[in-house]
Formats: sequence, structure tokens, C-alpha cells
Amino acid sequence: MIRIAAVGDLHYGAGSTDILRPSLDRLPERADLLLLAGDLTRCGGTDEISVLADDLRRARLPVVAVLGNHDYQSNMEDDVRRVLEDAGVTVLEGEAVTLEINGRTVGVAGTKGFGGGFRGAHGTDFGEPEMKAFVGHTKMLADRLEQALNSLRADFRVALLHYSPIETTLEGERLEIYPFLGSYLLAQAIDNAGADLVFHGHAHHGTEKGRTPAGIPVRNVAQPVIRHAYNVYTLGTAPSAVVHPSKEAPAALRTGTGSSA
Amino acid sequence: MSKRPDYVPEHIRERLIHDPRVAEQDLKVEVQEGRVLLGGNVATPQIRDRITEVARELLPDYQIVNETTVVPSGEPDDEEPVS
Ligand SMILES: [Fe+2]
Ligand SMILES: [Fe+2]
Repeated sequence: MIRIAAVGDLHYGAGSTDILRPSLDRLPERADLLLLAGDLTRCGGTDEISVLADDLRRARLPVVAVLGNHDYQSNMEDDVRRVLEDAGVTVLEGEAVTLEINGRTVGVAGTKGFGGGFRGAHGTDFGEPEMKAFVGHTKMLADRLEQALNSLRADFRVALLHYSPIETTLEGERLEIYPFLGSYLLAQAIDNAGADLVFHGHAHHGTEKGRTPAGIPVRNVAQPVIRHAYNVYTLGTAPSAVVHPSKEAPAALRTGTGSSA
Repeated sequence: MSKRPDYVPEHIRERLIHDPRVAEQDLKVEVQEGRVLLGGNVATPQIRDRITEVARELLPDYQIVNETTVVPSGEPDDEEPVS
């Protein structure tokens, strides 16, 4: 079993009370891996991301992150990324990473993603250059996500986004802003390549649970949605979850995860 | 502020997004007869206080009613077996 802790939209600010620090010490007992779904800062400042990086430097588990729109606000996203990487965090943008956990492999493909809207109501890269740039950006990131997912050869594959790939996890947000909250192109990329689980943030007033059109589970882990420092999701818990034929019997997998504390 | 009353709430919302003390995109702002009502989710009590501060600077003659709620951020009780 793989235990994935995930949260997005921590929105750290310089000198702010941080959300993660009080629970970081105990986190390795709860999870094998921490995923951060973007909007790690309030305004994308290196002073802001340094507060989080200092916390994560002490984390005794692998941390994988994507950036969010707030992390681009100061046009210093490369510096934000570097500060995180210096603290040992893997930052993904159209890239993938594979981790070995408890003898099994987990692949994570990540992108910030972008908006555009959903099926039947998506913006088109037609007309003004600004409109072409807007939708073109989403298309480019969705293509790279699909390639990154396809490149993974792992027991479990996870897609990590900031923007939402589906509408269901936006419920609670105003319909008028859906095109700024995500794009179906991201879901299409994930459904084409296949994945076991998808995380996103960005929709602070949305809903936690949904599925892509092909049925892949999606979790909106924006901190105001999950209302915890993080949530933990497990893969490989059910016998049917063994995606690739394994020598281990499902029962053996279950007994291996005996602690229910 | 030389804004028509119809546009005052949007003006405040804009300022709350761009003021680095707050930088919140999801706040609700209503203005009714000398009162500014602020709502939505915020991460920390500090940000909640800064929202009041920014609104007060913008509209010193209005009563600021800050009804934003601080989202809890404790550890989860259990985990969700997704598959
Ligand atoms: Fe956010
Ligand atoms: Fe965001």
C-alpha cells in the first residue's frame, strides 16, 4: 500500500502562521509521500517560499510539488522553484518522477495546468492573439502532461495539477469563473495516458471528490476544501488495485499494512 | 473614494487581491448603507485581520464587518483508500 499525503493552496506568506509545520514531524508516520498541488505562496515571492522550504527541509519523507498561479505573481517562478529544489523538493512542470516506496513504484507526472473551461463551453484559440495565447498555453501544458504520464513505468501513476481537470470538484464555485479554474483538456490528457489518481487545488470553494470522464478518481486538495493540514489517500489497498500482475497475493498485500492506527 | 457605489465592492475585491498583505482571490464583498460586509475563507487569523485593515484604509467612513472564516488546518483523522 502507498500512502499519499496531499494538499494545495497553502499560500504561505512571509511571517505568516504556517499551516504545515505543526504536523510535519508526525507526517512520516501517516504517509510515504507528500504532494503539494500549487499556490504554495501568496504572491510568488522568494521570501514567502523560503518559509515553506525551511519547513520542508526538515520533512522526513519525499515531497513532490507543482506551482500554482499565485507562485507566478512576482514573475519569479524560476527562483521559487530553485528555493524548493534546494530544500529537496521535486518540482514538476510537464515532467515526471518515479519513487520507490515499500518495494513498489509510484510515478508522479505534474503540471500547473491552466484554464479554458469544460466540454461544450471551452474557450478556443481563435481571434485575438491574447485568446490564442490563453488557450494555447492550456493545450501545450495538457500535451506535456500526457507525454509525462506516458513516460512513466510505475506500479501506480499519479497526476498532480494546480488547475482542475473536471467540473465536479468545482461545485461550490461560481459557474462564471469555471473557465478560470480548469480545463477539460487536462482530463483528456489524463484519460488518454491513464492514471490511478489525480490531485488538483486552485478551487478554494470547490468539492473534494470527482472522477474524469473515463472514471479516474480526482481529488481537489485545496486546503480550504479539505480543511486539514493535508489529507491522506492510499493506493493498493483493494485487491483490484493491483494494476500490473504481481507475484504477491492481494491478501499478503493487505497483511503487510496491518497497522490501522 | 470617487467611485460610484455600484462599483465599490469590485474595487475593494480588486484591492484585496493585489494587496500583498492579503492576496486573496475568493473574498465576497457587499456594501450596504455605510457598511462593508466581507465574507469567504481565509487561512489564518492574521490574514483575517489584514483584510479588515485594508478595507478600513480604503473606506475609512464605512463600518467594516469582517465575516470571513478561518479554515481549520489540523491533522486528518483517517485516510481514504482510493483503490
Ligand atoms: Fe489558491
Ligand atoms: Fe490558484
